[in-house]
Amino acid sequence: MTAGLRVYAAHAAFIATFLGLWEYGARTEFLPQLFFGSPAGIVAYLWDGFAVSKKIWLDLGYTVSGTLISFVLGATLAMALGLAFVILPKLEQAMDPYLMVLNAMPRIALAPLFLLWFGLGIGSKIAIGTSLSFFIVLANTVAGVRGVSPDHITLSRSLGASPSQIFFKVTLPSAVPVIFSGLRLALIFSMLGVIGGEIIAAEHGLGQVLSYQQATFNMNGVMGLLALLACLGMLVTRGMSRLERALLKWQ
Amino acid sequence: MAAIEIERLTVRFGDVLAVDDVSIQIEEGEFVSIVGPSGCGKTTLLNLLTGLLPLESGGISILGKRPFAGNPEVAYMLARDSLLPWRSTLANASYGLEIRGVAKELREAKARQLLARVGLADFERHWPKQLSHGMRQRAALARTFCLDSPVMLMDEPFGALDAQTKLQLEDLLLELWNAERRTVVFITHDLGEAVALSDRVIVMSARPGRIVKQMPIDLPRPRSVRALQKSHEFHDIYSDLWEALEAGMKGAPAMIE
Repeated sequence: MTAGLRVYAAHAAFIATFLGLWEYGARTEFLPQLFFGSPAGIVAYLWDGFAVSKKIWLDLGYTVSGTLISFVLGATLAMALGLAFVILPKLEQAMDPYLMVLNAMPRIALAPLFLLWFGLGIGSKIAIGTSLSFFIVLANTVAGVRGVSPDHITLSRSLGASPSQIFFKVTLPSAVPVIFSGLRLALIFSMLGVIGGEIIAAEHGLGQVLSYQQATFNMNGVMGLLALLACLGMLVTRGMSRLERALLKWQ
Repeated sequence: MAAIEIERLTVRFGDVLAVDDVSIQIEEGEFVSIVGPSGCGKTTLLNLLTGLLPLESGGISILGKRPFAGNPEVAYMLARDSLLPWRSTLANASYGLEIRGVAKELREAKARQLLARVGLADFERHWPKQLSHGMRQRAALARTFCLDSPVMLMDEPFGALDAQTKLQLEDLLLELWNAERRTVVFITHDLGEAVALSDRVIVMSARPGRIVKQMPIDLPRPRSVRALQKSHEFHDIYSDLWEALEAGMKGAPAMIE
């Protein structure tokens, strides 16, 4: 058995033991199902949601599309503004105090306002998600652009590079890795914003279902959805890492 | 006409006198090294020649023109390799030509030729992070020699290398230079390197930077840096210059004849 395989086997054994004890506790009512649910119940809930009544798919679709739209919107706006700051340093000076106040505010506290403005539907969730992803990408874009090596600038200037050549051939490519690590974080935070919004008030979405299951004391539903959200988060991070590796082979 | 003329150059940074009344004439095809302790204004001098630093007092002309950033007659090589990490070795070697607007096919052909000469023919698709320090500096040499500028300014290009790699690259530089004999201004704080490479060595003092000694190096060419290190002549010149350098470290004495 190789070392890698042994690690997997150890994990599998641990998880099986954990779930087994949980299930045993639930059946003997040592662990009240009202608070903890049971592994069998969770599987049954997810099976029903995905394969029998197929109700989860719609909510999953709402959450995923809300997340992606917030991410793309927030990231695009932030990168555009961040790059505009490079070209117009005065704009950054002028906007800096306002951005700082907005960024310092816990964005989820804006949810009630966004719900009023954009309604119970996906619009308000996108607004919250965007407000989170925007600032992360903005900070990383600015940091990335600032982190450009002075040697590269000196060399390019000595060769007679124009400001736009320096921007496209030096500044921008050197900022890409930092921007990318911001993007990865922004995707997670977009999801956080959307689910937070759904928990507060929504018609659809995994957050809304979670809140409903909790209110009706269906712990199998709550636990099942938590597991689903964890998987979703992992999938998103993995995907971004793959993309990053493919795009940034030189790193 | 001299390739480079520096006349009565004085540089101040605020209240600090960095370079004091320096005049240097460099002939076309001459390889001149400038040595001196750190802070003697060597790099300042080079930045003035590249036009990256504005000239305030005194006169500098390069092939009859005042220095300006982007002068096509000047190729600049920095202390660190400054390869762009997101570009392959080939794209790095041709970067200078790219900025100067040379068409892709032409610049890549020229870069391939230079990469072959510096021994990196098999590495044109590699990323800089995959190259050793020595190889990276070879790539930077290729990038510099790709430019057909008649004047080359080098700011301690081998300063960060280990002793053995440094010897190899010094010989490589001599080989490349010997084929074309362009005008070179080479900044270093390694006296041995200066003697081995140059036609003339200029010793500068600690701040304020003044010329302490100028010495022609009449060693026969083509040279081999490794062979030179065994020669008596080399060591005589070295110890002569070392005295001047030592005197200069204490401040700025009058010119030693």
